Amino acid sequence: MRRRFKICAVACVTVAFSVLVCFAQDLRVPASVTAGDDASLSTSGSGKATFYLLGPGVSIKTDATLGEEIRLQGRDLRNAGEYLALLCSGTCNSATFFVTSAKPFRLTFLVHPSRVPVARSDAVSGVALPFDQFHNLVLAPATIDFQLAVANYSLFSRAARTQDGVAWFRTASGKSAGALQVSASLDAISVKRAVQQVASDPCQLRISGQRGPAGILVQTDPVHDCNGNIVSDGTIVTFSATEGDEKSTVDAPIRQGIARAQIKTAPGMTVISAASGIVLGNELRIGAKQ
Amino acid sequence: MNSGMNQVFRFCAQVMVVAVVSVNSSHAVDTEVQVQLDVKKASPRAVESLTERGILRDYRFAWTSIAQALELNTQDPLEGPFAGEARESLKQTVAAQQGTNLSQQYTNQVHRVEAVFYAPEGDVMELHDTAEFQLRVSDGGKVLHDEHVVMHFVVLMTPGADRWTIRQLQAVPQF
Repeated sequence: MRRRFKICAVACVTVAFSVLVCFAQDLRVPASVTAGDDASLSTSGSGKATFYLLGPGVSIKTDATLGEEIRLQGRDLRNAGEYLALLCSGTCNSATFFVTSAKPFRLTFLVHPSRVPVARSDAVSGVALPFDQFHNLVLAPATIDFQLAVANYSLFSRAARTQDGVAWFRTASGKSAGALQVSASLDAISVKRAVQQVASDPCQLRISGQRGPAGILVQTDPVHDCNGNIVSDGTIVTFSATEGDEKSTVDAPIRQGIARAQIKTAPGMTVISAASGIVLGNELRIGAKQ
Repeated sequence: MNSGMNQVFRFCAQVMVVAVVSVNSSHAVDTEVQVQLDVKKASPRAVESLTERGILRDYRFAWTSIAQALELNTQDPLEGPFAGEARESLKQTVAAQQGTNLSQQYTNQVHRVEAVFYAPEGDVMELHDTAEFQLRVSDGGKVLHDEHVVMHFVVLMTPGADRWTIRQLQAVPQF
């Protein structure tokens, strides 16, 4: 009987002590911390404990004295996200806090495409994402200025507010061939990209030619798109020659705005035409060889 | 007397079997990850069904890899599904855990994922993930913390040659 009483008493004391210990150690964490800043956690109680911190990129285990502050250094709080703090002395108490990204330090700026025909609607697009110096995505809204310019002439300007850390634009390409400067700016941070605007499809074709000893030499006038830009080198012009019932075709690439071809024909009357894409040129009639 | 001894022996044997099974199961990485993906609100580009399936497959695989890496303290599972900052951060976590002998178990994962941004040219997608799982933190096998948690993640994924990779994985208090 006496022995049972002793066991019960020991058990009660143990439970009471455990409860006291549980209530004795308390851990208070900051509501939120900015990435890279120092922080401190307060504890209550007395005695020794083990402190653990788990978070993105971090796993810390250290001794702590209950009742004293636990100092966290900024280098351990660089990554934005949720951190779990554990304070163990017999039992463990836990608390979580968030590290939020610091102010924008750089912009990731994705622009498409790298080469675009002029005067195409919704042809150029860009996405900008602000990051802090620790590579955390900055989720606090920020205003990003998008600018498109050709040779210092502004084509497009838009201020876009980031939503969930992203801002974007989409617009038409300009009317002149050449380098299109695309920039995104956020306060003092500015990022530039270049898009090469090239001539669109030919707008009209005019051809001229003459008979020579080796056949008919035919060439286009300088080929322009509908905005007056010289069509890009390599664009194919197809010349067709018809003489009686015979028809032959020659593909010639444009070089420096002009396509040339030598067509070998019989010495009779020959009708020559040209086409590029959906554009047809004038017909050229070259008389019989004298 | 003998039957009493037998009962005690049987009881002890049962306790040991249960204990062994528990220990074994606690060391096995729970790879069951449920992911629900909603792409209806993605803009400005709509998510194609093939892309949706790819995201679902690769996002689930990524969380399986996180669970393996953080429980077994190995960086190998992080090589495929992650890139850039997300990979570096997770590798740092594993390296730090190796130093402290801590490990984290993520079990019974359920992810409700919403695509909120899909770039006009399809080169980046932002997801919002409300994740629920059982988190167990252990120090050298001793369980310190075991809790059912709900977390919110902002995720950036980019397409690679054959898969979508996570470039940013950032927990936030709320969306």
